[in-house]
Amino acid sequence: MSDGKQERIYCPVCLARFKKEEGWSEGAVVICPICGQKLRLVWSPEGWQGERVDRGTEKEIRERAESFARLRGYSFNEMKEELIEGLVGKHRLFGEFYCPCRMEHTPEYQCPCKPTRGGDVERKGRCYCGFFWKKQV
Amino acid sequence: MTGPKSPEHTRTVRVMAGKPKVYALSTCPYCKRTKRFLDEHKIDYDCTDVDLLDDAKQDEALEEIEKLTGRRSFPVVIIDDEIIVGYDEQRLRKALRL
Repeated sequence: MSDGKQERIYCPVCLARFKKEEGWSEGAVVICPICGQKLRLVWSPEGWQGERVDRGTEKEIRERAESFARLRGYSFNEMKEELIEGLVGKHRLFGEFYCPCRMEHTPEYQCPCKPTRGGDVERKGRCYCGFFWKKQV
Repeated sequence: MTGPKSPEHTRTVRVMAGKPKVYALSTCPYCKRTKRFLDEHKIDYDCTDVDLLDDAKQDEALEEIEKLTGRRSFPVVIIDDEIIVGYDEQRLRKALRL
């Protein structure tokens, strides 16, 4: 980087900015290290943005959840498929992949929800709806 | 001073208490499992999918749920004076005497 300033990419799912790695250029497909969302890099006057790949599809939420679990070292249990079905239902009814077990339809409750991104699974062993689980050591 | 309730009295109260009531979310798999359990056991119950209500009715239902359970977790199953939060097959069986 010429000015020595760390470039960041805005993720439209977790609404945070994560570090841009060396070699990433416009059009590259990357995974948000905070929420697991697959993003295509786009340069805009506001800076680097991530565009959601496969937006609104079951593939999107499945890949997001699996990437998030892999990044954090979490596992799923036998409820996984039913919870994915619930997430897809939330998107159909309320426009986003909100937690299927909550009434809240605000950005911080998009899966993985803010408490989960903030470490609820480490503290409690599972997330609110039992989608992500801490691995047994 | 009143003595212990007679079996007749207890039975009358149970009948008067009406059918079980379920508050659920249409997208919640634990709510679906609860409804499936009641259906499989041929239990006649009333169910409200709170997320599908209009705003005014939703506020009313949420207020009722918070009053009954002190939180906003689903499902909520009301069987007579027993309130069960979450999918709990053991408690459902006990409350329904299955």
